[in-house]
Amino acid sequence: MKKLDVQQGTLALMILKTLDSMGPLHGYGVARRIEETSRGKLTVRYGTLYPSLLKLEMEGFVRSKWGVSDNNRRAKYYALTAAGKKQLAREQHEWRETNLILSWFLTPEGA
Amino acid sequence: MNAPRVWFLRLTSIFGRARRERELSEEIESHVQIETDELINRGVAPAEARRMALAHGGGVSEVHDAYRDQRGIPAVEQLLQDIRYGARTLRRSPGFTMIIVVMLALGIGSNTAIFTLIDAVVMRQLPVPHPEQLIAIGDPSRVGGFSDGTPRTDLLSYPLYLALRQQSHAFSGILASGRSGRLDVHIGAADAPLEHPRGRFVSGNYFTLLGVPAFRGRVFGEAEDGAPGTSPVAVISYGYWTRRFHNDPAAIGKSIVVDDNGITIIGVAPEGYTGEIVGISTDIWLPITMNDALQPHQRTLTQWNASWLLLMGRAAPGVTLAQATQEIEPLITQLIIANAPGKLGKEFAADKRKYYVGAGDRGFSRVRATFETPLFTLLIGVALLLVIICANVANLLLARAVVRGKEMAVRLALGANRSRLVRQLLTESILLALAGSAAGLLVAWWGSRALITLAFDGTVVPLDLSLDLRVLAFTLAASFIAVVLFGLVPALRASRVELAATMRASAAAVSSGSIGNRGNRMALGKLLIAGQVALSVVLLVGAAMLVRSLRNVQSVDVGLDRDHLLIADVDITTHGYARERLLQLAQSINERVGAIPGVDAVTYSENGIFSGTESGTNLRVPGFIARAAEDTNAAYDVVGPGYARGIGARIVSGHDLTPADEGQRGNVALVNRSFATFYYPSGNAVGQVFTIDDTTLVEIVGVLADTRDHGLKGTPDRRIYFSYAQQNLRREGSGSLRFMIRAKGDPALLVNRVREAIVAIDPALPIGGIDPLTDLMQQSIREERLVAKLATGFGALALLLASVGLYGVMTYAITRRTREIGLRVALGARRIDLVRSIVLESLGLVAVGMVFGVPIALGAARLLRAQLTGIDAIDFPSIAGALTVLAVSAAGAAMLPALRASKVSPIVALQSD
Repeated sequence: MKKLDVQQGTLALMILKTLDSMGPLHGYGVARRIEETSRGKLTVRYGTLYPSLLKLEMEGFVRSKWGVSDNNRRAKYYALTAAGKKQLAREQHEWRETNLILSWFLTPEGA
Repeated sequence: MNAPRVWFLRLTSIFGRARRERELSEEIESHVQIETDELINRGVAPAEARRMALAHGGGVSEVHDAYRDQRGIPAVEQLLQDIRYGARTLRRSPGFTMIIVVMLALGIGSNTAIFTLIDAVVMRQLPVPHPEQLIAIGDPSRVGGFSDGTPRTDLLSYPLYLALRQQSHAFSGILASGRSGRLDVHIGAADAPLEHPRGRFVSGNYFTLLGVPAFRGRVFGEAEDGAPGTSPVAVISYGYWTRRFHNDPAAIGKSIVVDDNGITIIGVAPEGYTGEIVGISTDIWLPITMNDALQPHQRTLTQWNASWLLLMGRAAPGVTLAQATQEIEPLITQLIIANAPGKLGKEFAADKRKYYVGAGDRGFSRVRATFETPLFTLLIGVALLLVIICANVANLLLARAVVRGKEMAVRLALGANRSRLVRQLLTESILLALAGSAAGLLVAWWGSRALITLAFDGTVVPLDLSLDLRVLAFTLAASFIAVVLFGLVPALRASRVELAATMRASAAAVSSGSIGNRGNRMALGKLLIAGQVALSVVLLVGAAMLVRSLRNVQSVDVGLDRDHLLIADVDITTHGYARERLLQLAQSINERVGAIPGVDAVTYSENGIFSGTESGTNLRVPGFIARAAEDTNAAYDVVGPGYARGIGARIVSGHDLTPADEGQRGNVALVNRSFATFYYPSGNAVGQVFTIDDTTLVEIVGVLADTRDHGLKGTPDRRIYFSYAQQNLRREGSGSLRFMIRAKGDPALLVNRVREAIVAIDPALPIGGIDPLTDLMQQSIREERLVAKLATGFGALALLLASVGLYGVMTYAITRRTREIGLRVALGARRIDLVRSIVLESLGLVAVGMVFGVPIALGAARLLRAQLTGIDAIDFPSIAGALTVLAVSAAGAAMLPALRASKVSPIVALQSD
């Protein structure tokens, strides 16, 4: 099975959603969770994940803090901020709209 | 999106980079470890687990790049990187960096120094509110002038000022300001020594109209424009208050004695206000209405022919300079014609006039009139120098680019793109230029002050030389131009490396030093040398012409015994000498001084020689028909007996003025040859009679060869020498007498003896100065001397730089050809031939530069023409001299590396490189 890299732009939404449903997570946790949710169809690499997390942090949607993982490793944990929650709601809505519109185009007429 | 916040964070990211990089590494490491742990838990072998975890995440260094791009601003990051890298590179070769910075500092500094002076003298506005509203009436350069002949338009009289003030509508007010001459001031005890602060007579509205408030006390008001002699008050400058009164508040209200009159100080002007005259700071302002009381031999307040005031008006709202001019010019004419007494109005009407109404925002200034042109000439000179320096720096950078060829090649090979390399090299140039500018500002600070000292022979000139925005902007512009000139071409060149050729180390060829691109680089270096030579030709030719012109001026036949004359300036009027007593005084000084051993002859006159004081008169000559108004003008002086012998002038015909002449009833005079040939072209002037002041007849008793009495340049004036004894009895005395003492030997040795002799007659007689004529002459041409001196300095510097540049380029070229030279020697070439070929090659370069330089120099010389005396537009001696000096220095510069190359041992040469 061919694995896909995450498309730019959608990754931010996935991160926000993951943090929303899972609570604070470290980078590896976010990556693993996204890969699982995509049923293994996506691979998340550091090169895309960490800049994206940094961007979200700079925009004020997530905040980070060093902590300790379940198996006792030092790790940086990311958590959703209030602004992040709002942003998630907004993006979710937009994505659904886009999806709906696209589906009208892609579904054969009269089906 | 939260754009501002993101950009702010990006900006701040410039700091603490290293810490963040570390943190990211830690975060990724923790990511990999957690994943490895999990894989191990699932039963994967530890080593394999880590490999898989790493492979899953992707490349680590990409993360850093992507992360950095997100975090910061790539362009800024790169710039900072370039700056850091550039600074490191420059630090690594401190000698190279030093040389370039020093050269740039010289170039930028000398430009800034000259520009600072231009800014201070020519461009700066008066420090008063709304200077742009000010309109000057009168010739702004005649700040110390006084004339009592026909009314004029360059200086105005007090009655004319009052009338203008009343009748003009274009101004919200007009002020007047006039010279004070020398003030004799006693402060404190009656026997306190005399002081001579610089004074200025001004109208009562002077301070209020300019908008200059009192710092302490009060300034003048309407009361000071009242009846003559009723306002014995003064305002002093902040500087004088500090210097003389140590900022004592009690100075206000203090009474001082000015020219034997009690005057009360009523106020202090604010700090930084030194008067409306640029280049002279006023210590004390006195009301114009006090002039006649303080200077009893003058009747300036009532007479229309006493022209001595400069006016400054503040334009009424909405009035333009053109409108004000249109109103004021006819008004001046009408007022003078209607009011000037006797025939003066008619004479004025007949005169050809030039009016002086112009912008007044920059104040009045004689310094400006004198130095404006020389300063711009010098600016052109230093600009050329800067270009030459830039060429030199460019050459150095080019040479270094070759050394750094490998570095560039490696960076290109590793994937740096060319624009990045160019940017890197330009950044280095900008760093050099900035360091050069910073050092240049120091050079300028020192240089502009040194220039003033040079220009004014050490007198303190109150010019504001502080840095202002205009000067800083100029310096920045100069450095920017410098960067473009010296940095761009080497940067573009250096980055265009042929990878293969450079990486393969240098495979030198015997045929020539050119391997691909490196040959071009040398060609460019040679081009720069030729350019430098061309510009050096321009500077050297210019300097030579200025120096030769100065020589001409200095050696002009002055018609005087220039090397033996001593001029003593004695103030006679303040001590009550008049008429017979005055004449007796003059005679007894004559006798006393004449008795000093070593004195050959003594005479005296009112204006003296090279004193800066001149008189002029109108005259009528029977049978002479004037074609122009100025045809009836002649300069005059009033002289003692034995005048021609006393100054060493040749008598062409007739005889010198004698005591017997003085005793005659009829007026007699000497005239100069210009006068005689102008009015009596056909015959002997001696015995002829002309008329002055309408009715006074004067007989010519002798004709003198033309002398240069007041300036070394231009054509001599027509001149009359009246008898002091005869004139003195007819008129009020004037301010001072100048004694011309003709020594047998060095006149400077007689100074003290002459002073003692005068003091012995009357110890209270103020002596203005006793100076050898040659000193006075030198002072009269100080701006020419300054320009010639500086131009010579710039020329020498240009020569040095061109030689150093040539030396560098040839040394480099020869180093590249060591193998070739070694081979030639091994094959039997004679060393002398080698040296000759190298020197000839250098001279070839110089010749190319000269071919281009000479026409430019000829063009530039046309700009100088106004400042040259006795020099043709194409001055062969100057050109020949400049070319010879250049060729000799160039040959010298090329000889050194050539000799060194010829000593190369063939074995060493063949092993090298």
